[in-house]
Amino acid sequence: MAHTGKTMTTAKGKAKPVIPPAMLPMEGISEIQAPDGVYLQRNDAMFTAMKHTAGEFSEFFRALRDEGRVLGHRCPECRHLIVPPFMRRCPACNFVEMKPEFVKDTGVMAATPVITVFAPSRFKGQEPFGTGRVFLEAADGKLSDTAMLVRVRTTRGTIRPGIYKKGTPVKLAFCDSRQGEMLDIFAVPQSELTPQQIAKNPLFESEIEWGKLSEMEFGEPSAAQQETSRQVRLHFQKLGELISRSPRATANLANWRRKVAVRTGGGTFGFSIGQGKLRVQKAASKNPDLVLAIEDPSLLLAWLHDSTQPSGEHAQSPALTDLVIEGTLVLNKPELETITRLDRVPRSLRRDNVVTT
Amino acid sequence: MSDVAILGAGMTPCRSRWVEKTFWELAQMAVSEAVHDAGIHIQEVEAGVAGIYNDIFEFQAIPESGFQGIIGLQNKPLMRVTNGGATGAYSMLAAYNMVASGQYELMVVVGVEKALDCYDYEAESNTPAVVQTIGYSWDPWFERPLGAHASESYAEVIQAYMDEHPGDLAPMARAKIVELLCQQAQNNPYAQRRGEKVTADQVLHSRYVVYPVRVLETCVYTEGACALIFASPKMAQKIKERTGREPIWLTGVGAANEPYFVGNDITRYKVLHRIYSDYLATKKALEMARIGIQDVQVIELHDAFIPQLMITLAEMGVVPLGRANELVDEGIIMPGGKLLVNPSGGLVFGGHFVGGSNMMSTWSAMREMRARNLEHGLIHGTGASLSMYGVAMVLERRA
Repeated sequence: MAHTGKTMTTAKGKAKPVIPPAMLPMEGISEIQAPDGVYLQRNDAMFTAMKHTAGEFSEFFRALRDEGRVLGHRCPECRHLIVPPFMRRCPACNFVEMKPEFVKDTGVMAATPVITVFAPSRFKGQEPFGTGRVFLEAADGKLSDTAMLVRVRTTRGTIRPGIYKKGTPVKLAFCDSRQGEMLDIFAVPQSELTPQQIAKNPLFESEIEWGKLSEMEFGEPSAAQQETSRQVRLHFQKLGELISRSPRATANLANWRRKVAVRTGGGTFGFSIGQGKLRVQKAASKNPDLVLAIEDPSLLLAWLHDSTQPSGEHAQSPALTDLVIEGTLVLNKPELETITRLDRVPRSLRRDNVVTT
Repeated sequence: MSDVAILGAGMTPCRSRWVEKTFWELAQMAVSEAVHDAGIHIQEVEAGVAGIYNDIFEFQAIPESGFQGIIGLQNKPLMRVTNGGATGAYSMLAAYNMVASGQYELMVVVGVEKALDCYDYEAESNTPAVVQTIGYSWDPWFERPLGAHASESYAEVIQAYMDEHPGDLAPMARAKIVELLCQQAQNNPYAQRRGEKVTADQVLHSRYVVYPVRVLETCVYTEGACALIFASPKMAQKIKERTGREPIWLTGVGAANEPYFVGNDITRYKVLHRIYSDYLATKKALEMARIGIQDVQVIELHDAFIPQLMITLAEMGVVPLGRANELVDEGIIMPGGKLLVNPSGGLVFGGHFVGGSNMMSTWSAMREMRARNLEHGLIHGTGASLSMYGVAMVLERRA
């Protein structure tokens, strides 16, 4: 195939457009108001479609896709082992040719991974996601000299701090359907796997038991918890009223529709977001788009209380996003958009002066 | 290499979006201000350097081509520099070398950037598209497909530093620096966030963008421009005779870029818990200026993220690595402390128009050195994946 230049398609399943249709602008020139007059702006895009070659890295990506193995390069002189094999010649040894060498799919984290909460356009909907660098083991048990960036996951809910740290032993797992790209693999802490899973090569995603985020059980609510939960609902209602009076807060929720069920240790209710408004329902939808589960409703109440104060100077409650990232507020799916939009609302309310003492 | 004089500076206001201006007009405004500040005519300028970080932000490949004739320089050389977040500092370095080498006597260096014309039509918001555009700075094979982006990348360095030095970069120390920069920005007439009040408490309760970095600890996206006029000692003397004004002198420069890939051997790979480029660049610049870090009274530092500002100050030798909390706890950079850091409000409050932010830093440091009779200042620029690019420049005021 390489000789003919023909394309060999390997994508499994229905192909999706590279650019989602919703991200494509329609032709047009619009007016925008500035303090000193009206200016024009054109809907446009800077695009160049690609058939982007993986070039010399094709061997590495083919090994991921076809063999479920990870390839590195080793310098025959200085013995440095690099993963991924980002160069073919070792500059430290005056560009001596490096040799391909498969490495194990086990290793350790080079540092504590970070968790992306606000992602670039093309990764929207994947948040929160963790990324970190892994030193992989060679056949002789020694670690590679470079650390490879990978997505890090946990079998126990949404990714959050405390699951990984520097030196955490990890296993690279392989997606069942692979395209020949970095997202074909991800790291899982070895402590979350059985010895059999750790020993299996390659270990596939479907061979790992993934926790269900909606399985939180809170037990019988106390009267105090029920009252707090009721207060949470009433404060959400107040928040909804304030949002309708704030152009900035309305803009925060614009173009977003979600039916949300809120499960707390004191009871359940619902709210919906649509047309820039937030509306509260006593009973949660039976088919919500998103479930928020939090055992202690007073944490939500604290956020709502701070959010409806005229000044943010004395705010004590963490942002909702923080509660998710810290693992206190659990989502039934890793979709942060609703949460991040709600977190923008308090500042908008203050900037529009709709919150009064 | 001889010293190079900075005769003048010109700034546009920093704004999140200039719907009223294209980058051509912003560049012209800054150059016009700079030549008037320097007391020269643009026709005297022999050559120029243009710092523009990202073609996509400008919506044009070779975006500097339109400058020729708009900022003067018709039929004269204009070199474009692009070096990630450190574009402004690298542009100054290029202009410094062109003057110090003796090739040119009088030059203009201009940095400009648009950003917020980028738009995510799905989210109906600019920011995800701006983050995406910056995300194109990562390699297309290994890292960008994973969602690597600026905040993620710097957060990796910050987190790795915290692994190495537990307890340093304490949240309250970071929050107090944000509060300080916010206060300092109120004295910068061009600052993007002038009029804003951010307290340490607000910082501690602001949302995460990438754990462990919070939104109020990050720089802002900015549109704007800054221009500086560089001259040889001979030309500086000639112009001083007609303006009567002492220039500020560039007496030391240093730059270093770390490798892209991460490993344990600092001589061959990026070591995640260090910003070694800042260490090397600062060391070189100070050695060239024949001063020590203790002689520097004002630093305008590229604060892409507040914890990174703290690491950078430690790499510069202001405090030892692992003891960056002392910057606040010992009052080193706090009001009345021995070191003035980012009187402009930095990139977090002043603004970060990438191609020229480091030039804004220079404008600010010069202003403070004159106003407070300070002898030595330091300019710093960083950028690219994992804060791998580093530039430092020593400024000197001669009474």
